[in-house]
Amino acid sequence: MATIGHNNLNAKLVLLGDMGAGKSSLVLRFVKGQFLEFQESTIGAAFFSQTLAVNDATVKFEIWDTAGQERYHSLAPMYYRGAAAAIIVYDITSAESFARAKKWVQELQKQGNPNMVMALAGNKADLEERRCVPAEDARAYAEENGLFFVETSAKTAQNVNEIFYEIAKKLPRAQPPQNPAGMVLVDRQTDGSRASTCCS
Amino acid sequence: MLEPETSSSPATEFPPVEPTNFDMIIVGTGLQESIIAAAASTAGKSVLHLDPNPFYGSHFSSLSPSDLSSFLRSSPPYCSPSLLSDEYDAIPLSARPLYSDVEISPEELENCRRFCLDVSGPRVLFCADSAIELMLKSGVSHYLEFKSVDASLIYEAESGNLSSVPDSRAAIFKDRSLGLTEKTQLMKFFKLVQEHLEEENEGLISEEDMESPFVEFLTKMRLPKKIKSIILYSIALADYDQENAETGEDLLKTKDGINRLALYHSSIGRFNAQSAMLYPMYGQGELPQAFCRRAAVKGCIYVLRMPVAALLAEKGTGLYKGVKLKSGQDLLSSQLVIDPRFVVPPSLALSRRGASQESSQDPIPAAVKGKVARGICITRLSLKSDASNLLIVFPPRSLCPEQATSVRVLQLSGNVAVCPPGMFVTHLSTLCHDASQGKRLLTAAIDALFRDTMPGNSETSCSENPEDTSASESDNMKVHSSALLWTALYIQEITEGSVQTISSGPSPDGNLSYNDLIDVTKKMFQQLYPGQEFFPEKASSEDPEDKNSDGGCRGDNSSEKNSDGGDGGSGSGSGNGNGNSVGVYPEYL
Repeated sequence: MATIGHNNLNAKLVLLGDMGAGKSSLVLRFVKGQFLEFQESTIGAAFFSQTLAVNDATVKFEIWDTAGQERYHSLAPMYYRGAAAAIIVYDITSAESFARAKKWVQELQKQGNPNMVMALAGNKADLEERRCVPAEDARAYAEENGLFFVETSAKTAQNVNEIFYEIAKKLPRAQPPQNPAGMVLVDRQTDGSRASTCCS
Repeated sequence: MLEPETSSSPATEFPPVEPTNFDMIIVGTGLQESIIAAAASTAGKSVLHLDPNPFYGSHFSSLSPSDLSSFLRSSPPYCSPSLLSDEYDAIPLSARPLYSDVEISPEELENCRRFCLDVSGPRVLFCADSAIELMLKSGVSHYLEFKSVDASLIYEAESGNLSSVPDSRAAIFKDRSLGLTEKTQLMKFFKLVQEHLEEENEGLISEEDMESPFVEFLTKMRLPKKIKSIILYSIALADYDQENAETGEDLLKTKDGINRLALYHSSIGRFNAQSAMLYPMYGQGELPQAFCRRAAVKGCIYVLRMPVAALLAEKGTGLYKGVKLKSGQDLLSSQLVIDPRFVVPPSLALSRRGASQESSQDPIPAAVKGKVARGICITRLSLKSDASNLLIVFPPRSLCPEQATSVRVLQLSGNVAVCPPGMFVTHLSTLCHDASQGKRLLTAAIDALFRDTMPGNSETSCSENPEDTSASESDNMKVHSSALLWTALYIQEITEGSVQTISSGPSPDGNLSYNDLIDVTKKMFQQLYPGQEFFPEKASSEDPEDKNSDGGCRGDNSSEKNSDGGDGGSGSGSGNGNGNSVGVYPEYL
């Protein structure tokens, strides 16, 4: 969920999309400015955080990667819980990945968090010569479903920062958290991980 | 919450699982199986984790009332004996019911999807217990958020009141029900225990006392009955009546009692929590999910909604080779870990090369150890107006003279997101020999809890007379109808685990904490992979989560009451201006 502390916003962002669409590559480009031509399937990565300054506030994204659990349609509910934003990624060179992206959008809509900011990313835009999904089709689909759409390339960095900035701008500001926040355990007795006592 | 699709994704639509050969295949995503999956994946083993259900958690899941009802009543998963394999002998995997005597009323409940009911509740974490240590060590704690259990109460038979448990010095000081003498006695006792635990004072309590029953030691310390009851049942959480124990095994020894007291006291104040106990947001089902996520991050492959149709054995030798999925695919593994609900065919259990004969003679899983009666109530009223998440203990003989076991109750509120705001989920459990005995106790506890708020309340009873029970049950439904919206009662078998080529963890125990389960799981892992470390100490340093500079107030920033904590947390993250990465990178880079 997007939570506010003064002008700081903490937002959980989840990535969804077909295997090989480039979810991890987008995050790595955004978070670290890196790109690997032969990125392995997501093993070992699960959680990144990145802070952006947008207008008068800073937005700290906590980015959750699927850890491969989407492969056999076995993502845990924990993955979507409290997500303020989602990027649904497909590969512009694969019609099948676009079809799968639509399924992920449906799943997110079913979940019924009306405030979730959803972005559709047509990734691998650098592979224009192998394009199978016309940008117009994707844009029309995005408009119908209330998503915003861009084509990205984790390889050339095209629109990668932009998609995250755009999400940061769209995050609802003065919205109270949907669920009361709990405490996160940190093994330092002096640390400020304090139990929140507010009741819903 | 996103509901798993139960109907639209039949198992057969899955692409075939790749690869087809694993170090370990695990069937069932209960807490222990999930911990094994995470530990084995962390140790570099290739693991395939399957579950026939459309959700994570198996016996440790948190489900909506309707899903809980079908889970408890589901007949053993379907196995087709006709599935043949050319290369291997296919041996059906049979299951036995772990749950019985399921009573749920009413069957329908409004907004059913907004409830997360723990299948093996009531259960909490103690801030300093081994479950918390494991979550911190494995990095799994990053995926979870918790709330404090804000009050611990004990039922007093004489007055019929719930009084708060003076579990710490501060609580003793504030307590209004204890007299000055009692306060002094309890304070002195806590001090003695604390001093005993300090190294230089070793032997402060004699060896002889340490081996004697805790209850005798408390008597020797001249603690009054009320205080003894609080220490035994609300702090040391003894299961059985310590003063009229049927067998010596049910008696808590002083050393165990003192260890439990020490755990309780070291839990107070940790993480700046308000009490010794924590509960995970969204229910206990988050714990197995978190370990599964950790396993997936380490390469474990997950396939839900995928039953195992048969086990594969090598022709001739009968050695275990792998499993046949319901989709028809054959997958091989060196080892198999199965949900406690399944029974390993004895012929296969014997097949481990070099396994000693005597250990393989045991039927697997081992015999049923006992039963636990569990109950869940959904209500509109909190049992205590100024607390939302609370623990209540009914000590033995507090409900009726024949009550031989403690009944433990955990009320949870909307602030742990297991129900809509303004509603409450109350879990109850007690150990029992037979179903009717267990259910009588739970019903008596429910009566005592909810009838007190009603006019015309009558004496509670857990009479052996079945007619009485049924009469009082139907009566209760009327009396409670305004506060009590939904009730489930069921009996769960407690089974032991075993480790072989095919292994199985025990079914959920009757304890309030996860400690015993964690200990058993750790031992299982060490038997499965001798010499491998169970989550190496530095395992998490390579993970991005740990280097997150943010002090861990992820969830707290939102709380207005918490502006100082929030400052510290988000300030450190955002002080970098824009675009600076706070996360670090996975090992594949």
